[in-house]
Amino acid sequence: MGNLSYIILLPLIASLVVGFGKLGATYSRLVAIGVIGIQLLLLAKIALVFDTTQVGFQLAESHDWIHLNLGSLGQFVSKYAIGVDGLSLGLILLTGLVSFVALWNSEDIKEKLAGYYALVLLLNASLMGCFLARDMFLFYIFFEFMLLPMYFLIGIWGGPRKNYASLKFFIYTLVGSLFILIVMLGIALAYMDPYETAISLQKLGVNQGFGIEALQSMQTALAAHEIAPNQIVHSFDLQALSDANNCQPNNLFSPQSGFLLGGLSGRAWGFWLLFIGFAIKLPLVPLHTWLPDAHVEAPTPISVLLAGVLLKIGAYGWLRMAIPFFPNEALEASSIMAGLGVLSIIYGAYNALAMSDLKKLVAYSSVSHMGFVLLGIASFTPEGWQGAIFQLLSHGILSSLLFLMVGVLYHRTGNRQIDNFSGLASKMPKYTLISGIAIFASLGLPGFSGFIGEFFSLMGAFTSTHLTPIYAILGSLGILLGAGYLLWTFQKIFLGSYFVRETSWDLPDLSTLELISLFGLGILSIIFGIFPGIIFELSEIFVTNSLNNLFR
Amino acid sequence: MPVQTIFLALLALPWLSALAIALLPKKIQATVSIVLAGIFTYLAFQVGHQPEGSISYPWFNLGGKTISAHFWLTKSAQLLLLLVSIIALLVQIFSKSYLAEDPKIGRYYTYLHLFIGSMSLLVLTDQTYLFYGAWELVGACSYLLISFWHQKESAIKAAKKAFLLNRIGDIALLFGLLGLSNYFGTSLFSEMHGAAPALIGMAVIMGGIGKSAQFPLMSWLPDAMEGPTPASALIHAATMVAAGVFVGIRVFPFIGEEAHLFMGGIGAISLVAGAFMALFQNDIKKALAYSTISQLGLMWLGMGSSASMFHLYTHGIFKAGLFLTAGSVIHYLHHQKATHDLDAQSLNLMGGLRKQLPLSFLAYVVFGAGMLGIPFSSGFYSKENIAGFLWQSAEHSVYANYYYVLLAALGLGMVLTASYMCRQTYLIFLGQNRGGNTLEKGHTEWLQILPISLLIFLSLFVWISMNPMDSEHSVFMAFFHLENYHIPGFWLGITAGSWIAGLGITYLTRRSVPKTNVQFLGFLWPAMYRLAWYLGQKAHRFDARIVDRIVVKFTELQVIIAHMSAWTDRHLVDGSVSLLASISQSLGARLRTWQSAQLHRYWFWVFFTVVFILIYLLY
Repeated sequence: MGNLSYIILLPLIASLVVGFGKLGATYSRLVAIGVIGIQLLLLAKIALVFDTTQVGFQLAESHDWIHLNLGSLGQFVSKYAIGVDGLSLGLILLTGLVSFVALWNSEDIKEKLAGYYALVLLLNASLMGCFLARDMFLFYIFFEFMLLPMYFLIGIWGGPRKNYASLKFFIYTLVGSLFILIVMLGIALAYMDPYETAISLQKLGVNQGFGIEALQSMQTALAAHEIAPNQIVHSFDLQALSDANNCQPNNLFSPQSGFLLGGLSGRAWGFWLLFIGFAIKLPLVPLHTWLPDAHVEAPTPISVLLAGVLLKIGAYGWLRMAIPFFPNEALEASSIMAGLGVLSIIYGAYNALAMSDLKKLVAYSSVSHMGFVLLGIASFTPEGWQGAIFQLLSHGILSSLLFLMVGVLYHRTGNRQIDNFSGLASKMPKYTLISGIAIFASLGLPGFSGFIGEFFSLMGAFTSTHLTPIYAILGSLGILLGAGYLLWTFQKIFLGSYFVRETSWDLPDLSTLELISLFGLGILSIIFGIFPGIIFELSEIFVTNSLNNLFR
Repeated sequence: MPVQTIFLALLALPWLSALAIALLPKKIQATVSIVLAGIFTYLAFQVGHQPEGSISYPWFNLGGKTISAHFWLTKSAQLLLLLVSIIALLVQIFSKSYLAEDPKIGRYYTYLHLFIGSMSLLVLTDQTYLFYGAWELVGACSYLLISFWHQKESAIKAAKKAFLLNRIGDIALLFGLLGLSNYFGTSLFSEMHGAAPALIGMAVIMGGIGKSAQFPLMSWLPDAMEGPTPASALIHAATMVAAGVFVGIRVFPFIGEEAHLFMGGIGAISLVAGAFMALFQNDIKKALAYSTISQLGLMWLGMGSSASMFHLYTHGIFKAGLFLTAGSVIHYLHHQKATHDLDAQSLNLMGGLRKQLPLSFLAYVVFGAGMLGIPFSSGFYSKENIAGFLWQSAEHSVYANYYYVLLAALGLGMVLTASYMCRQTYLIFLGQNRGGNTLEKGHTEWLQILPISLLIFLSLFVWISMNPMDSEHSVFMAFFHLENYHIPGFWLGITAGSWIAGLGITYLTRRSVPKTNVQFLGFLWPAMYRLAWYLGQKAHRFDARIVDRIVVKFTELQVIIAHMSAWTDRHLVDGSVSLLASISQSLGARLRTWQSAQLHRYWFWVFFTVVFILIYLLY
């Protein structure tokens, strides 16, 4: 058991303790915050020992888990395999941070506290599992498992339409995972795990290294039909699945197969199913309608987790699975992907422009901002991918900040209608300052992290040889519209003369507790905005290596 | 001190100053701010007499390339840096008196330092993306300063308008700069040589349209006058709006003649339109704003050559002076004991102020002479230089006729400039007072007198050349690499004619004072705003009625199917195995629970069925 396992296990055990330990309200909170605090320290330790010059997974752990003999279909192996690389490191750090911030701002939750904290811890554990898994089956289990705490967190502690919203969230995500499941089973059955097969065929001593020659000899043997189907060991290992040479010849996932369905090859089907499965999570227009509902009904800390981390799994899935599994199909689809990204950017921004509920506005702005991620990915350039990954982390921080900002208002008044407030600047200067920072950071002002993500995504899309510049130019409309709805909101709520709808609403300025978390996030955004190298350095090797190897 | 250290200090100082001022106690904020601005000016002078060169600091890695923060100390950058620092210092001194009663003066000084920091970054950077970043930052500072009095509804609206109209230009600039980097294969301006395609050059120039309030995005600048007047002097008259000219200067050597002519054409339209609109303003500051638009158009007419740079500098001095003078007039009127409520900015209510404010009168005349380009003012040289540039460019160009058209526009602009400037001076200082209040003798405070006097001094000819009619042997121009462009003697006749025509028009129209402020292309912004709002509503309706509805209906269909399958299960399948009564009973009990609205159970069913079918089909 290494450090990485603790990161998953710690909140998992803590959630059992909190959930069934009858600790009482105060201790539940303390244990939850304490455990995530320890997790953050562990994460910091991992970040410090992480070698940014090394290709592939680090701190890897692997334990045998499931062995299944399928008779004529060969054997199935799934492992408890986890590890961290440049893509996942940033995201697990973000998960730890956002979980901590969410718990920190959970003062509003007043009922069934033990259950609440237990579920948040459970959510944290499954999120960490998602980002750390090196085995697709393990990933899938964590991915599915995440639904459970989220469903209850919205369904129990949510707003008036919580049942509708939680169900909608559940169904949408389930449909997405259905697509992922189909591809996962299909591709795992189609592919051979060369290492496991070699061991099973006793071509390799247990302690013998598995070098590139051994790999190639296994692959040529497979291509030459020298390995009988019942001898093949299938696994869900992400690395094995990312090499098309491991595919059995004549299988519909094989690049050589003539399989066509509706004009698409088997591999293209695989790509699109995975793409859509993860697109629901992102969420990509037109699969986004669960998001505003879920956000509006979810309590503030859950919105923070939802926007801050959960949405990132969509893009993570693309970068980790959809694209590495089917690189050429992805490349062929780059124009469609960029088009969908641009659609999300513009459509989300226009919808945000029409919102009168502050939280819904922020939710739609998430849709718009995540469109930049897809635009960056679709460029298949280092700048675009770095921009997209940066945007994931930056949006994680900024959307948390924006939702907390909404939470401050909602906590004091129970209301979020933009029209009900005006001129808060004179009454709540600190709140205005941090909201101003959040809003200017979100509209992509240089010096804040939002700018870097959007700028490099657009730059990648503009300079890419796979895309025409029109996508970047249309995408930049999102910057203009973003400035429009964010400034309009800022002007409406904070500037002008002081006014609130109900005279009974009391609006004290930020408490120390709120101050720390809000300004902490704001300062983080400024640090990443001025020194983007901190994040670029983490994902540098991942990006260059992926782009070099996938498209040889 | 070594150059590197001075340079780093220069870049970092304004940001640290802003932070320090924000944290300091209220009483000393203004004084500390002025001292820090003084130090900044000193550093700017230190940097100003360095030879040209570049300095870089490593920043971050991306895609296998190391990206450094690269700075390029060109002569034009040094000159603009000097202008920014001097005017910023004088404006801060002026503001201490002008805004003395404002409780939020610390915030004001913080914003000013943020602006100085962004502007010096913009001026000094050699990199396209740092340039774009600084460009956006100066826009944000402008937003903050316009909305400084954030209780004022008109101010916050103006701020938002300024930011959004600027962003339209910014997008063009973004792609222009990306296009340049892409075309030349480098992100450094200093490494770009040759001629970029006209489209890229035009995109960069279009970027400047927003910032310089040129045609057709000009309407934000008059509105931006809602901000404090000294800030307007610095940002919306002398420096930030000149960034649109500066970008033209940066890219001048490598964007090709078509893009140059595009810039000149936009400039010509703005020069004439701005000067014309300045005649129809009732508000003293709005009149000056249109005058700024017009003068920026004149710089654009220089197409980013050193003639543009020269006029940028001279205009910066006398326009800042005009704004500060206007500010002191407003300040004076504002503090009169009014027998009735009085709009201190309305030209309608001024007149005859030469008696009360002789110094302001003198200042207005001197700065006005600069605007007109009368000999003995520095404006004379720079204006003639732009005409000379157009004349000389025409001689070697296939587009010669186009240059002559621009030259004609310059002539027309000069007539209009002369007339609005004389008119304004007349309406404020000459004739009889129309305000209806008894005015005390003006006793302008020395914190206001000092900066204005210094600016008067700086806008005289002696700094440029000892010969008031010719800048041939100018040390100043040689030092800052400003070229002397010559135009034949007939042009001086036209110039003189424009002064006479301007005076004549003023004399003829002296009795009519505009009642309101007329906005040029005033419909543009509300139309754009309404369009965005309309599209937003449409998108929202589409989202709620179509996109969401489809999904919900589809889900409902699944529920119906699930109910049907449950019914089949219970009545047909269950019925056939009625022998196993106990099992059937327990199943029945379970099925009843399934019928509750718990959709996800149905979904599990659908989900596993599909999976099994798939496995079966595939193998």
